[in-house]
Amino acid sequence: MNLTICLLMARRFVEREQIREMVTGYHGLSDAAFERTFERDKDELRALGVPVETGSNSTLFPDELGYRIRRRDFELPEIDFSPAELAALGVASSVWDDARREGDAVTALAKLRAAGLDPDVERVAGFAPSVAAREPAFESLWRATVAARPVTFVYKGVARVVEPWRLLSHHGAWYLIGYDRTRAAGRSFKVSRIDGVPSTASGQVSAPDPAEVARHVASLAAKRDKEAIVAVRDGAAHELVRFAEPVTVDVPAGFSGWRIKTSSDAGEIASYGSDVIVLEPASLVAAVTAHLEAVASWR
Amino acid sequence: MAMTSSSQVARLLALVPYLQAHPDADLEQTAQVFHVPARQLVADLKVLWFCGLPGGMPGDLIEVDMDALAEGRIRLDNADFLSRPLRLSVEEAMSLIVALGAIQDMAGSDLAPAVSSARAKLEAVFGANHRIGVSLQAGEEAVRAALAGALGAGQTVRLTYHGASRGSTTHPVVEPASLATRDGYGYLTAWSRDRNDWRTYRLDRVSEVTLMSDPVGDHGEPPALGSGWLDDRPEAARVVVDVTPAGRWIVEYHPTVAVEERDDGITRVQLLVADPAWLRRLLLRLGPAVVRVDPPQAARSAIEAAREALDGQGRGGDVEDA
Repeated sequence: MNLTICLLMARRFVEREQIREMVTGYHGLSDAAFERTFERDKDELRALGVPVETGSNSTLFPDELGYRIRRRDFELPEIDFSPAELAALGVASSVWDDARREGDAVTALAKLRAAGLDPDVERVAGFAPSVAAREPAFESLWRATVAARPVTFVYKGVARVVEPWRLLSHHGAWYLIGYDRTRAAGRSFKVSRIDGVPSTASGQVSAPDPAEVARHVASLAAKRDKEAIVAVRDGAAHELVRFAEPVTVDVPAGFSGWRIKTSSDAGEIASYGSDVIVLEPASLVAAVTAHLEAVASWR
Repeated sequence: MAMTSSSQVARLLALVPYLQAHPDADLEQTAQVFHVPARQLVADLKVLWFCGLPGGMPGDLIEVDMDALAEGRIRLDNADFLSRPLRLSVEEAMSLIVALGAIQDMAGSDLAPAVSSARAKLEAVFGANHRIGVSLQAGEEAVRAALAGALGAGQTVRLTYHGASRGSTTHPVVEPASLATRDGYGYLTAWSRDRNDWRTYRLDRVSEVTLMSDPVGDHGEPPALGSGWLDDRPEAARVVVDVTPAGRWIVEYHPTVAVEERDDGITRVQLLVADPAWLRRLLLRLGPAVVRVDPPQAARSAIEAAREALDGQGRGGDVEDA
């Protein structure tokens, strides 16, 4: 802290010996202990986002190195947030159900408050969204994706080197989309299925083809590209018929006919039991019947 | 002290400008802003007490009014050189930017424009980066808007609700208390007049919201949405389901008590089941991917439902208007 203040106050580069004299915390240290402590403090400051510059004040004696912090590199720039925007930021800071992300978001908000930007939390009472990140691999993938650095991990028993393109949460599960160098193709990975914790790999992340990224993003949603005609018991299976088109077909009493989009998974329709009867296509009728017969035969 | 010295320095670098922007700040309130206990903040202030202009003259030190501190107020002097906070780190900015993206879909029409403009302003300063995103299943815009309106006005509503496990539609009259998300889904927490208790409703299963004239009553604080439904169901029964690789996805979609990968490729999944109808639907969905259910009687309802459904398949007539 004292080192920060010392460097902040100085308009010029401050030489190492001057720092040693000025900062009370360095008094009474041996040469070696001072070197160690000073280097550690500098590293900590850099890690906190306070850039410590090295340079010389003198053109005649450029070897006399000193240190300084340039305020404009270090200070929060003025950002003009409206009260509604601040309320939104207040909600955003409480969204993360993940210790590291929550800590970062809380620190970010504290910095904004330190600049006099205080959100009015009453404005958004009763609104409490939450995003979790429980997958063990998440933290290192987050860092790699933010910094655009390749990662290496084991997935389905195979060691991969992947250039991260996107890290997406879909319906509560995280997915990594990226270029799989091992497979020489774009791939999506379910983060919960990654074995262990990924580590960083060398090289760069090549810019992805937006169309390929879009294709992988779209594939995260279940593919409902098969059309079917079904009879649905009135008032049941709402999720199935919500966006469906009613059709006039011969159905049992208390049922209505619908044209629906469904996946190729017979289990989706089978899960509604007797509330849904497949009428068309014949292949889906057969698949659902076989699926139900498997369950009916359990003992 | 649990905090490492480097996180303490980070906090101090924000605390000093914060206290200058908030003269005579309340100790407890400030501790909440920084998410630390008040005694940690007092420890921080004692560190500050020893900081100040290098050179060590008494008048150069940051002054903390210790008498005021004992009464829960923070007064700081001689700290003008540190009047602006640090820039946000990339990680910090991204934590907020991604969170704003996540709430975009849930925010009502009053908040949504502010969410996107706040995000745009952060991105303008810290760099736009759409590499990380969150999509939520939060139902229809009209439903969320109606619920947000009812929440704000303190009005009772009648929902048209399509419960998943029973596959049936109900019309509960509820008093909305909060909108929240958990595990990728949006939920309404409300006081159910029929049940006389708190209930949560998944937003994508609400198809209609009818505003009613009566105001909401006082039922105290609604319970926080648990981190998973397991937390709320101490009375649930344990059921073990062995699945083939085709059924392994349930591990990722449903909270499990234990998962065991066996050498023969079978995954043994232990589930907590509070609602037999939920288990029936899960087993019907898995079908041939299920190798074994323990206890066996837990599967009885699914077997009966499958037989009943097989009787029904074939009852449909020919398609007339295909």
